[in-house]
Amino acid sequence: MKSISLYEEKHSFLNGLSPLTKLTYVVVAICVPLLLGLRPSYVAFIALSVALLATSGVLAKTKPIVAVSGFVLLTVVIIQTFFRGGAYTELFRLGPLVARKEGFEYSIGILLNVLNIVFCFCVFVLTTKPSDMMQAMVRRGASPRLGYVFVSLFQIIPQMTERTSTIADAQRSRGMRTEGSLGTRIKAFLPLISPVIMSSFTDTRERSIALEVRGFSSKEPKTFLNEFVASRADASVRVALLVVFALSVVARVALTMGVSVWPK
Amino acid sequence: MSKSQSGSPWSLHLSTASLVLIPAAIGINYVGKLFASMLKLPLWLDSIGTCLSACLAGPIVGALAGFLTNVIYGLTMDPISTVYGITQAGIGIVVGLMAWHGRLQKWPGILLTGLLAGLVAIVISTPLNIIFWGGSTGNVWGDAVFAAMGSQGFLASAVDELIVDLPDKIVVLFIVAGIYKVLPRSLVTLYQAKDETFDD
Repeated sequence: MKSISLYEEKHSFLNGLSPLTKLTYVVVAICVPLLLGLRPSYVAFIALSVALLATSGVLAKTKPIVAVSGFVLLTVVIIQTFFRGGAYTELFRLGPLVARKEGFEYSIGILLNVLNIVFCFCVFVLTTKPSDMMQAMVRRGASPRLGYVFVSLFQIIPQMTERTSTIADAQRSRGMRTEGSLGTRIKAFLPLISPVIMSSFTDTRERSIALEVRGFSSKEPKTFLNEFVASRADASVRVALLVVFALSVVARVALTMGVSVWPK
Repeated sequence: MSKSQSGSPWSLHLSTASLVLIPAAIGINYVGKLFASMLKLPLWLDSIGTCLSACLAGPIVGALAGFLTNVIYGLTMDPISTVYGITQAGIGIVVGLMAWHGRLQKWPGILLTGLLAGLVAIVISTPLNIIFWGGSTGNVWGDAVFAAMGSQGFLASAVDELIVDLPDKIVVLFIVAGIYKVLPRSLVTLYQAKDETFDD
């Protein structure tokens, strides 16, 4: 079965950090450039995330994720550059369309922010096992029942998507058409989705009985099967991240008060 | 989905059956989106599970299913879509409440619920679209209108979102109401066991 999780064990530096430290990195990488409001800070964090991903050997796996956001970003750049209203400075002309400097610069801001979020998320997602992440959260007081819901998703979704091709084949063999006009295709949707819904609901009944039999609702404190051992660098990385965050807050306050911290 | 349910729709006590419904609902959202793109439909159809679970087990389960759907998208495909979990949670709450008040039995109620769910989606998504994407949605038709309206401002962005969201939610609600009607009663009562009364 194909897993939907993007995690891969590479015994890298990032694999050794605890999930909470990596989540802290995500928060810091998103917040610091927002606090500073300076474009170079976005570029710096994107570069840092890319470097971290490269050293962990998972840079190639970011391609499909970047492609999803990249496509929307492309349309954003086009729309903002050519169609943004208000006064504008002409960059160049493309037939009847005028490229506008203001719109282009605005779209670059969006581009940097989105790329920064995507890459720092990749640092977390590509190097953290979903069950480790949930375990870390349950240890910190999250509900173990919700923890089960989250971890079971990584099992149930591949099971269900695998079923889709079986159902599509079965309905086609009964003469259902999945190509043609919009009407034909809309009509095909119900016979495809309803078997998935029915069977997954029937499964939930069996699953809830199976869980109850194993004491799922028991009020006893839960124990953990696997112990995650964070590397020695973990604590120092977390401290460093908090220092960077604190410094950026100080810089933000200084900037608001009119002190220049960035050489002009 | 019936008025005979007692207690509050906001009860945070989730039975094991309702909890197990959440992953199933998320799977249905996932598969709905998959089939919609396989059939090249101009709609997302990715909130069928959210709405169904909201009908079956109330607004809290619907909201959780909706929110976690986008968390999973965020962890497996598209990080930014995580924040749109708030939108899906909003849809789950609206549909769960309408169903709890018995509004999903006749078509005017279903249409109204679809309109409300679409409205909630627009109100929550538009600010997010502006913050993250400068107002566009990535949908060809919506973005064409957005560009024609000067590609800035809340109104243009809201119209961009409306063009896909409103038809999508109405279609989803009719599909959900149709499926809910044919679900075996034994399955439906499984999720409502805690709320059953005998005075009806």
